[in-house]
Amino acid sequence: MMIRMTRVRIAGPRVLLDGTLRVLQDLEVVHVVRPAIPGPHGAPVDRESLRLRRILDDDETALRLLQASPSSGAPPGAVALPRAAALARRTRRSAERIARALAALEDERNVLLRYEEFFAAFDSLLGHELAWPDGRAFYVVLRAGAADAIHRLRSSLDAAVDGEIELLSRPLPSGETAVLILASAAVATKVGQLLSASRVQELPAPEGLGETSMLRAMPALRARLAEIPRAIATREAERLALRDAVGPELESLRAWLHDRLLVLEARAQAHTGFQLFVIEGWIPRPELDQLTTRVEHDLGPDVLVEAVATEPWTRVDAPVALANPPLFRPFEVITRTLPLPRYGTIDPTPFVAVFFPMFVGLMLGDVGIGVMVAALAVVLRLRSKPRSTLRSISAVAGACAAFTVVFGLLFGELFGDLGRRVLHMRPLGFDRQEAILPFLALTVALGVVHVVLGLTLAVVNAWRQGNRREALGRGVAALMVTLTVMALLAALRLLPPALFTPLVVAVLVAFPILVLLEGVIAVVELVSNFGQILSYARIMALGTASMMLAIVANRMVGAMGSVLVGVLFALLFHIVNFAIGLFSPTIHALRLHYVEFFGRFFSPGGTAYRPLSHWHPSEGS
Amino acid sequence: MQTVMALAAALAIGLPAIATAWAQGRIGPAAAAALSEKPELSTTAIILIAIPETMVILGFVVAVLILRGNG
Repeated sequence: MMIRMTRVRIAGPRVLLDGTLRVLQDLEVVHVVRPAIPGPHGAPVDRESLRLRRILDDDETALRLLQASPSSGAPPGAVALPRAAALARRTRRSAERIARALAALEDERNVLLRYEEFFAAFDSLLGHELAWPDGRAFYVVLRAGAADAIHRLRSSLDAAVDGEIELLSRPLPSGETAVLILASAAVATKVGQLLSASRVQELPAPEGLGETSMLRAMPALRARLAEIPRAIATREAERLALRDAVGPELESLRAWLHDRLLVLEARAQAHTGFQLFVIEGWIPRPELDQLTTRVEHDLGPDVLVEAVATEPWTRVDAPVALANPPLFRPFEVITRTLPLPRYGTIDPTPFVAVFFPMFVGLMLGDVGIGVMVAALAVVLRLRSKPRSTLRSISAVAGACAAFTVVFGLLFGELFGDLGRRVLHMRPLGFDRQEAILPFLALTVALGVVHVVLGLTLAVVNAWRQGNRREALGRGVAALMVTLTVMALLAALRLLPPALFTPLVVAVLVAFPILVLLEGVIAVVELVSNFGQILSYARIMALGTASMMLAIVANRMVGAMGSVLVGVLFALLFHIVNFAIGLFSPTIHALRLHYVEFFGRFFSPGGTAYRPLSHWHPSEGS
Repeated sequence: MQTVMALAAALAIGLPAIATAWAQGRIGPAAAAALSEKPELSTTAIILIAIPETMVILGFVVAVLILRGNG
């Protein structure tokens, strides 16, 4: 349901402006807007805001680099700003220095691990004397798939230096090939030139190890590799110590800065003269008394609160606040995926809360699947935080599970016909497998109810917005749909046949009235209403498909020869059916709401109600 | 006669199934591309992908009616 908003004006001496804004921030009910009166307003971006944003940037960067938990937001305390700004700046620099050092150590470790991989391939050679003690070693890594290049490299080097080299190669775990070329001093230069000419890249010795020969550099390399984790641990300890020392203070400072910036944004909306200020905003009508009492109590009689007007539903710029009963509130997760409805229009959440789980339940209609959905809902609930989207989804899943179990009992289904075969379940309503046509009639009847309800809500919307002609047009369309359906029922003798002629006459009379009110396009819309009613047949189609899959799964037990194999296949089919049951009915129930139901009356474009409030860590930075 | 009815039912569901597959095959990649740019369009994408399924679902209903009519 949408809350009716009241526009309030708060005026007082200019010296009390900040105090007034702090009271409003504590109350968290006034959505501040620019007053509808001419005059000077606060600067939208002032020097203080810029300064606070710089400090906030330092603070949040430091907290991010120190990996402070985002949920450990401390309440804003008293802040000595120059000292706090210096602390944030200093901590940011220290945190950046530690982060840079840690990144450099990680990079170095990755490089050294690459060398270690290379030399592990030639581990058996370490400690042995080279064939030419005064010679030189060349280290090359060939890319994956270039193993045949080794033969070409070996033959061209042999031909050039007349056997004065030794070439060893080993495959690396990465798929590359490590190549070690040992050359005598006499031919080392020539080998180097040949490698350069053939564009084979040598692996240079790591910097800082003080050795140009990799074989001799290996002990130093391994010592450094052993040293790096200790260096990383030292830096991590430094980061943790810094976080423990200044983290709480920075958290508190962040909350204070966000709060202060919210106040400054609200102050920029206020009308400020030499002596007086005026703030305007919207509050939910029931909160007006609380606001008046609190302002009078905290600020005295100098600050006045005046209710300008309770906004008519036609006011398009009023913010939109939804307030649904706890039972319906989780279903806001479905309506909030669309833009907010315009102020004064109908919030469809209560209707979604009734019809959405009903449609899903009708499609699934199985006690076993309902219990599985309920178990999933419980798991989601246990793993979600209060007031989170996941918690809402768990509540919606719970409602769907309840409807699925109820319809499962009505249809006598427990994992298809397993309940009937094993537990002798009997349908309390009707058997979907036999009564396909009654099930189809039921779903189309639900479509009639849903579409006519949508048209009725469109009448209310248009009436509230002052569009009387449109309201009458939608009303006549709803009436025509109802009369036509009743005429069909009379023709099929489901209603007294005597009603058929009067109903047809009523439809024929209503038709020109509809065209007169809404134009020729109304004819197209009327026809589309019937098409969309038929669209609800998908509930029957998906329900029947789900039931048939379950029955096929059960029949596999006897059809596979081996009971064990049959049971395994049956379980697999039921799991597949459950997985399909999670997605397909949800998507089609959503589609029936978004297209067939909302399409009749939903009017998006509302501005969200965002009262001046304290900053909450969950809102992000 | 039963063979003709069965063929009619098969066509009633088979042809819309091909049409639905063709339509979803075109809508799916376009929706995925749109979502990579604007994730907030996920609801619209779901609706657009579900719209062609109406064809095969109504085809299924017609097939059931044909088979039921056959007794």
